[in-house]
Amino acid sequence: MLLSRRRAAALAGAATLLPRVSLAQADNRPVITIAVQKISNSNTFDLIREQSNVGERTSSLMCERLIDLDWFHGISQMPGLATEWRRIDDQTVELSLRRGVKFHNGDEMTAEDVAWCFSAQKMFGDTTPDYMGRPGNPTSGPVIGAGSKALPPEIGPVARQRFPSLVKVEATDRYTVRFVNATPDVTLEGRIAATGSEITSRRGYEDAENWLAFARKPIGTGPYRVREFRPDNLLILDAHDEYWGGRPPIKTLRFVEVPEVPSRINGLLSGEYQFACDIPPDQIGAVESRPAFEVVGGTILNIRMTDFNKTNPTLADPRVRQAFGHAIDRQAIIDSLWAGRTRIPHGLQFDYFGDMQLTDWNVPEFDPSKSRALLKAAGYKGDAIPYRLLNNYYTNQVATSQILIEMWREVGLNIELTMKENWTQIRDLSSPRGVRDWSGGASFNDPVGGMIATFGPGGSSTAAKEWTNAEFNQLATQMQTSTDKALRKRIWRRLLEIAEREDPAYTVLHQNASFTAKRRDIAWRACPSFVMDFRASNWGAGIRG
Amino acid sequence: MLRYLALRLARAALTIVLVVTFAFVVLRLSGDPALIIMSPEAPEEAIQAFRHAWGLDQPIWIQYIDYFTAIAQGDLGVSFRDGRPALQLVAERIPATLILTIPALLLKICVGIPAGIHAALHRNSTTDRLVMAAAVAGFTVPSFVLGLLLVLLFAVQLGWLPSGGQESWRSMILPVITLGFGGAGVLARFTRSAMLEVLGQPYIRTALAKGVPWHRVVRGHALPNAAIPTVTVVGFMVGSLIAGAVVVESVFSWPGVGRLLVVSVSNRDLAVVQCILLLVASTMVVSNLIVDLLYGVLDPRLRAGASGGH
Repeated sequence: MLLSRRRAAALAGAATLLPRVSLAQADNRPVITIAVQKISNSNTFDLIREQSNVGERTSSLMCERLIDLDWFHGISQMPGLATEWRRIDDQTVELSLRRGVKFHNGDEMTAEDVAWCFSAQKMFGDTTPDYMGRPGNPTSGPVIGAGSKALPPEIGPVARQRFPSLVKVEATDRYTVRFVNATPDVTLEGRIAATGSEITSRRGYEDAENWLAFARKPIGTGPYRVREFRPDNLLILDAHDEYWGGRPPIKTLRFVEVPEVPSRINGLLSGEYQFACDIPPDQIGAVESRPAFEVVGGTILNIRMTDFNKTNPTLADPRVRQAFGHAIDRQAIIDSLWAGRTRIPHGLQFDYFGDMQLTDWNVPEFDPSKSRALLKAAGYKGDAIPYRLLNNYYTNQVATSQILIEMWREVGLNIELTMKENWTQIRDLSSPRGVRDWSGGASFNDPVGGMIATFGPGGSSTAAKEWTNAEFNQLATQMQTSTDKALRKRIWRRLLEIAEREDPAYTVLHQNASFTAKRRDIAWRACPSFVMDFRASNWGAGIRG
Repeated sequence: MLRYLALRLARAALTIVLVVTFAFVVLRLSGDPALIIMSPEAPEEAIQAFRHAWGLDQPIWIQYIDYFTAIAQGDLGVSFRDGRPALQLVAERIPATLILTIPALLLKICVGIPAGIHAALHRNSTTDRLVMAAAVAGFTVPSFVLGLLLVLLFAVQLGWLPSGGQESWRSMILPVITLGFGGAGVLARFTRSAMLEVLGQPYIRTALAKGVPWHRVVRGHALPNAAIPTVTVVGFMVGSLIAGAVVVESVFSWPGVGRLLVVSVSNRDLAVVQCILLLVASTMVVSNLIVDLLYGVLDPRLRAGASGGH
């Protein structure tokens, strides 16, 4: 058969196209666009530097931890990149790594990568474990823009807060690692399962141009890998088809930063986005009035509170602080501002504390007459109590504060509200401070990861010179190193008594909630967290359990 | 003329220095970038390390001297969040903003000025009232309200255009209309007022009495004389090309300088905010300078006054 040059060229061209067409046809997975208020506060996906809920949302798709959390079954610990773990002693945990796990660069994950992730080079910088004492000068290192592989100086201290007494992580063989602590610590597994303990590729880091480049395009083991990140604008993730947990169900995930709520909802309704995150409760009705859409989500691992400043002369008397707590009708706030879609927790505790949660513990009951009696007993004469407020840093913050002020006024408290722009102004020491808003979480499944981290020795409340209590500090220290479960529960009860009743550091308002609007025909479940799970086990027909 | 120009340039430089100094002081006194970028829960050691690394633990006057020394060497600082030179960050965003603000400026000029002239020439007619009603609506309806209304209509209800983002040329249409509508209203009002004032002048009556055709009176006498206030307003609009779309960029999730400014102010990314303010102040000052020079072109009397003639 004779072929003309033109025909031969056309056939050759078609031949080169054929495999691509068939490949494209084979991959009929969807491209999903998600509108979020913020992709990342720090413009990186390094969760030690990022330290935010929004960062956790995207990072969890790229990087995983040795011990995972089962979001749909009580946020219990489950095998992640480690298949099993065991206690060698009170200070040592040994983990067996999952075999055959591939990083985004094709390398197999080994114990060497894990040990490197918890090294001074990657995580701790020039900080030292707590038992060696804290350095007097700020840690040093290049700023993120210096183009260096060295850690930015702020990373080490944050990492050390997560693992205050970790001495080393050693690889005992290719698939086994040991976490060795300086002191007994029953929370070590919880810390390994917490944000900041993500495993990334050592070679990936060495190949990256600098720290910042890796922090923006981490080489992890997660179901999706970074294709493109345009800070404050767009994040595109592609499926990591060698993912150990099965082929991801979505070809490409696009996170689009849309700062305005109406714009996110409009984009969802017009079909440009399949998901719109960070939907305030007052918009749930508007979205669900259209049958094709629904709002999913609910309580997350975060509790809204009002914090007290003990150094304020009026608030120095604990009875005045106690009066605040009894004046609040928490259910009214939940019903009116949260459409009833959250709840009052058992104090600053979470269900995932498991046995450590004291389910018989409750927030101060709503009893205005008790508040009035407490104020009378304290000799409160109506002195103004400053209330510094941020403009909706938290969902519904301003509306909640307006309700609170009226409730407090009802029992005789004189609140002086001042709007502030940022946390520096909230903490400013140049004028008297009184009450302020706060939200508390628990970075792992133990009280040590929550209340103690904030109000205990070295916590942010102590650092801000707002509240401290000698007995609380002594018990908090004891709780961090105790391995006696019964003793730890007793200490925990006493800590709650001190911080929520006797010498209130705060009063709990309600559990926080997060809502995501989506097309109703997409089968997908929201986690009780900002984390978005787009693995096969949580998508379409693949949804399990 | 040279002395006049030198004086104007000196005043322009002083204005820029004052703007940057004001921003420098206010931004540093009103928020600690370490607390904002690291989160209020960060340990004290991390906050201290951040401040130390970026020189924020130095007295403010030392930071101020360092800043101006660096500017003199062409260094506008490095972003706390991005790690890249602030100027590079801002420069990357400028095209995205200009492809909105330049068409919007053309829209304002092409719609606002003819509409204002037409309304003035048909004073108290139905057309005049319609044009003025639209103009008042244009500059009284906030751009975020107009933007959302347009999105509801053209994106959500009709599905003709995207609701936001920077996906294709179609994404530009709604933000440009939103930006242009208000400005066109302002220009229409100014042009109409200026034209009415000029049309009431004795020299217009004289020209008409001498038998000059109406269209030549309008083109040759009314329009040039009415141009000065209009050019002033257009000058302000040119000056705000770089950062004049802050609200619209937020409503339409448009990744321009306006969005960068909002994010950088809220994160106290000092170098980036200062860089944007420096550019905005410079653009505004230069455009005002050009407008001043244009006055001389449009009105020969001002030219004579500037050169000391009579």
